[in-house]
Amino acid sequence: MTETPMPTAYKDPKLPPPVELPEGPDWVGVLKVFDAHVAETLVVAARTLYPHQDLPERVYRRTVVAFDGLAAKMPAVAQGFAEFVDLVDGAMPVPFRELSESYRVNGLKAIEGTAAFRLVQRTTVRFLYDDIEVWQAFGYEGASAHLGGYVDRGFNDLDWLPEPPPGI
Amino acid sequence: MTKYDLDDSGVVVIVGSGAGGGTLAHELVKRGVEVVLLEAGKHLTADDFVNDEWAGYEMLSWLDKRTASGTWRAAKDHPTAPSWSCQVVGGTTTHWSACCYRFIEDEFRAKTLYGEIPGTSLIDWPFTVADIAPYYELAEAKMGVTRTNGLPGLPANNNFKVMYAGGSKLGYNVSTGRHAINSIPYDGRPATIQDGFTITGDKTGARWSTLAVEIPRALATGKLELRPQSRVTFIEHDAAGKASAVVYVDAAGVTHRQKARAVVLAGNCIETSRLLLHSKSGRFTDGLANGYGHVGRHYLRHIIQTVWSIFDKPVYMHRGEIMGGMIDDFVRHDPARGFAGGYYIEMNSMGLPTTAAFLDPGWWGRDFVSVIEQYRNMAGIFMSGEDMPQPGNRVTLGDELDAFGVPVANLHYDDHPNDLKLRVHGYKTLSAIHAAAGAKRSIEAPSYPASHNLGSNRMAAKAEDGVLDGNGRAWEVPNLFIADGSTFSTGGACNPTLTIVALAIRQAEFMAGRMAAGEL
Ligand SMILES: Cc1cc2nc3c(=O)[nH]c(=O)nc-3n(C[C@H](O)[C@H](O)[C@H](O)COP(=O)(O)OP(=O)(O)OC[C@H]3O[C@@H](n4cnc5c(N)ncnc54)[C@H](O)[C@@H]3O)c2cc1C
Repeated sequence: MTETPMPTAYKDPKLPPPVELPEGPDWVGVLKVFDAHVAETLVVAARTLYPHQDLPERVYRRTVVAFDGLAAKMPAVAQGFAEFVDLVDGAMPVPFRELSESYRVNGLKAIEGTAAFRLVQRTTVRFLYDDIEVWQAFGYEGASAHLGGYVDRGFNDLDWLPEPPPGI
Repeated sequence: MTKYDLDDSGVVVIVGSGAGGGTLAHELVKRGVEVVLLEAGKHLTADDFVNDEWAGYEMLSWLDKRTASGTWRAAKDHPTAPSWSCQVVGGTTTHWSACCYRFIEDEFRAKTLYGEIPGTSLIDWPFTVADIAPYYELAEAKMGVTRTNGLPGLPANNNFKVMYAGGSKLGYNVSTGRHAINSIPYDGRPATIQDGFTITGDKTGARWSTLAVEIPRALATGKLELRPQSRVTFIEHDAAGKASAVVYVDAAGVTHRQKARAVVLAGNCIETSRLLLHSKSGRFTDGLANGYGHVGRHYLRHIIQTVWSIFDKPVYMHRGEIMGGMIDDFVRHDPARGFAGGYYIEMNSMGLPTTAAFLDPGWWGRDFVSVIEQYRNMAGIFMSGEDMPQPGNRVTLGDELDAFGVPVANLHYDDHPNDLKLRVHGYKTLSAIHAAAGAKRSIEAPSYPASHNLGSNRMAAKAEDGVLDGNGRAWEVPNLFIADGSTFSTGGACNPTLTIVALAIRQAEFMAGRMAAGEL
């Protein structure tokens, strides 16, 4: 995307690392609540909502693993995800996950006002952009206190604008 | 560890350990008063905190459900969390970004200065800037506010360089501003390491909080008993109509009744109004101290909004203290602008997780993606401006009960035309500053959940106009006080916490004086 390389992103050392998922379709094996169809439909929905060309499939999958974690804790949330899948699958004679992009986008637009859409959209933002691989891709460095903060690591290294006077 | 008996009616009971309650506790015990401090949240330490936006949010925030109504965006974007504060020892001072500005003289006489504005319930404060100035000085010294008491300002960071380039090109007065964050070591606390995570707890103590400063010092006097994980559910009064005890539920779910000589509520606006409204009795049928119906009304939350802009080159706005920039050209009331009141321009930065969440909740698709992918080239600029008090903007109790049997609060807020004019003016100014620095695109983000919660139990010169007198004492209950932002008569433009702290010091002096005189 840009010429200069992205700096390294760090997760706070006190927090668990991202879940390891198998690369193939058996990634759904880690799920507690969702079946494969629900999970794959939600992956496609997350990518339709936030279609980052260069992000690998696994970050969208990890997002859906996080959805599954919520669903396991809260039956009402599990219900919401199930409703979402029914809604998007019912709109066309082809399952949502097999639709072309314009049909997927229009299908989502048509249900924007529903609680199920809102749940999926908000929860995607919550978890997709909290993924360290996404941080790394877009230049967010994350945790810093364990590295001494940014005081000696570039908090004032912007050099393409005039330097403000000292003590300003 | 000092312990007071539940039947000890000689103690002052404070509810809430944040900016108001934590400061007041320290200021009272310093004066020899015996205090029980009840706090709903846990007592965490710097070691518990994490450098992680969502994990920190979940660790510190007040997450109990609320509901919202009215024309404000929060009702749509954040319908069950319209207001943002913390539930932890130290309250929202564990989380705040520590901008510290004083109200200016005019802001204490909003009614007189602005005149009649239809739909508003403006009043003047029951005191003047001269009355509070000495307490502002004490607060600034206590908090180590930069650019006071010989302390240098925070150094310019990347996001500030953008703000400075644009603001100075347009002829504005730009500085890094004033913060309760150490630019150099002060008061036994270190200088900032610019980790960019004051909002998840502050692991070094470079920023003032009641958790890091007031509460440990208050405990060291031996006069304070802090009871964390103690959720207050009711305030009782005696036959004479004086507050006599506070009912609370501990971590194990056991209900207790702590007797009190005086009660001070400092639960942050919504919770304080909710407690008063809920504490109904035969004598106070509409809630404690609510004879004139002002409890919960005139709720204010400032005109807060951010503009996020994309530049050609990297900014890395997340590096360093997040609000280290300020422009004061729009602070003064200027009728020529077509609206009442003013605003401060400040800086804002967020990490990728919360930038994505607050950019425009509900926004999705390729356009959003094209913006957020440029996160590292983004800069943020923010404003805090005065909103108009309206009697219908208020905290009320709903039908649903929380886990403690207290009704869930509803927060109603309709934007006043003056608020909308100020918003538009502000967005244009913020975007113009970034444009002057070379922004390719600017996004006008809506307000996030209310972070400056004010006015819903206001001080007024007359009982007919507000819940409290000029010392934050309830007109109708002579030993009941409030020490949080809900006491504000009007909102002013600046971030409220310095004023909350100054008022708490002043209130402690008043209370200790009355006690010494045998009148409290
Ligand atoms: C994102 C963000 C950034 C901010 N940045 C700034 C800034 O830069 N400058 C500024 O001036 N202000 C800032 N603020 C606002 C500032 O945090 C508040 O103004 C201030 O903390 C309010 O103080 P308070 O005493 O009213 O309440 P709080 O500090 O919120 O403390 C209230 C305490 O009461 C407790 N409590 C509530 N109800 C009960 C109950 N029933 N029983 C027991 N305990 C109870 C709560 O758990 C909490 O700990 C910011 C706020 C947010 C959310």
